[in-house]
Amino acid sequence: MMRTTPQQREGRLLLAPLVAFLLIFLSFPALVDIVYALSDVSFQTMRAPELIGFRNFGAVLADPEFWQACWFSLRFGLLTAAIECALGLALAIFLSPIVSRHGWTTAILMLPMMVAPSMVGLMYRLVLHEFAGPLPYYLTLWFGTSPAFLDASHAFWTLVVVEVLQWTPFAFLLFHVAYISIPSEIREAAAMDKAGPWHILWRIELPMMKATIAIALGIRFIDGFRVFDNVFALTGAGAGGSTMSLSIYIYQSFFKGGQIGQAVAASALLFFASLVVLYGGALLKSYLERRRIAA
Amino acid sequence: MNILRWIVFAVAAIAMNFPVIVTLVTSFKSAKEIAMNPGLILQAPTLANYAKVLTDTSRFNIYAYLFNSTVAAFIGSLLALLLTLPAAYAIVRTGTGRKHLLPVVANLRAVPLVVFAIPLYMMFQFVGLLDTRIGLGLILTIVNLPLSLMMMVNAISDIPGEIDEAARMDRAGAFVILRRIVRPVIRPAMVTAFIFGFITAWNEYLFGLMLTTRQAVPITVGASFFFSASGGGVQWGIASAVMVLGALPPAILGCLIYRQLTGSMTAGAVKG
Repeated sequence: MMRTTPQQREGRLLLAPLVAFLLIFLSFPALVDIVYALSDVSFQTMRAPELIGFRNFGAVLADPEFWQACWFSLRFGLLTAAIECALGLALAIFLSPIVSRHGWTTAILMLPMMVAPSMVGLMYRLVLHEFAGPLPYYLTLWFGTSPAFLDASHAFWTLVVVEVLQWTPFAFLLFHVAYISIPSEIREAAAMDKAGPWHILWRIELPMMKATIAIALGIRFIDGFRVFDNVFALTGAGAGGSTMSLSIYIYQSFFKGGQIGQAVAASALLFFASLVVLYGGALLKSYLERRRIAA
Repeated sequence: MNILRWIVFAVAAIAMNFPVIVTLVTSFKSAKEIAMNPGLILQAPTLANYAKVLTDTSRFNIYAYLFNSTVAAFIGSLLALLLTLPAAYAIVRTGTGRKHLLPVVANLRAVPLVVFAIPLYMMFQFVGLLDTRIGLGLILTIVNLPLSLMMMVNAISDIPGEIDEAARMDRAGAFVILRRIVRPVIRPAMVTAFIFGFITAWNEYLFGLMLTTRQAVPITVGASFFFSASGGGVQWGIASAVMVLGALPPAILGCLIYRQLTGSMTAGAVKG
């Protein structure tokens, strides 16, 4: 056995509460997940699950609704992340002179993030309501017509806009901090070399913000991919499952369908997928770093 | 040029805050005015909706929802801080856990919450924590752990090592150092982490939806009850008043610490 120094022993003691908490609240659920994913189980037989092998996984993979939900989540995550970051970046750079001088403007722009996404979803029920909602009212007043925002055909884009409007501030804040922390000497030196503002932006500033852009895209994609609150509060699964994200799919097969084994199998697949993405991302990051050092 | 910037700022601010503005305005409208005037210009502002929500608690008791949210969010943010402060100290000063524990916890932020929800539902049913404020608080702790740990690690990393080295010379144990030396120095970071955790926990929805039914319903779930109200259509004025009251606590807290918030939100991402 390895000898431990007093310092290491102390370190373990300090870590113990957190580790114990994680073991109880994450390992045990993981174990339950594995057993139930491989079992035939319902709310009645929760204490006596019957092992059936990988049939639940087969059922999930054969369920067209599962693939529809995957597609929704993937598309939603990619689109919202891209739009939020593009808008956030543009705002951060364009508004930088007034935002860095007037701090209160940040408070106003980040207010949407302070409101619970589920509440924002509920609020849009009012905003978009055909009789009580101001948006259809003004659209009809000014343009004579207003689209049915929550139709099966429009709901996806409505939700994208809802998500983008609430979370662009997140990207904006990250980019604002990154932008103002670029040393002004660099800009001045470039200006001395007669570089125009566009040239400085594309060749100097954006490359310096590359890491922040990657982080913002990553965080926003993850949050968009696992979306539940605002979508569920605004449209539920939507007409014909048109707005069913993966999280909503799992929730519904658990509570509405009572197909516990299948719901757990789907969440195990989702968990596995997120591990693959996380570790893929970490590997890519270290690969890029190694290449940069080599270069 | 700056005028153009102010215009863009105003448009962005209104578009992003539009649902909040609409809800705020509607909460001051009578049912009659909502039917006649869906626009944003108030004609006869009234406090009747707030009065109704705050006095008539026979069907839905908003005080209970707000109380449940307060207790659960308090547990969730305080416990996360108590667990991560010593752990962060150990990670920074002894290196134990830096290699495995830190990335595991930091990556929790990226795992879809619904993955934990089902087994925790089972677990809570076994031990009788379903539909309790404590149970909800424990879950919210998990949600808060990643950012809380990262913020504590960052804050302790900023303390010069000589300070606690000197205390160690005087044979002070880690717990004493943590309490007497580290805690006072990083108090601002702890306050930010607590408030940020409180906001996150207050705004959580999925676990409240799955793990509570009657006794421990938080405001995020309780607010949706007012939308499925009595018989006919939704009473928009009342529902709006409920949402304003439910969104106010995190909004106020957010305004108090918005200067520190940027750092907190990115803590997990930048160093994780």
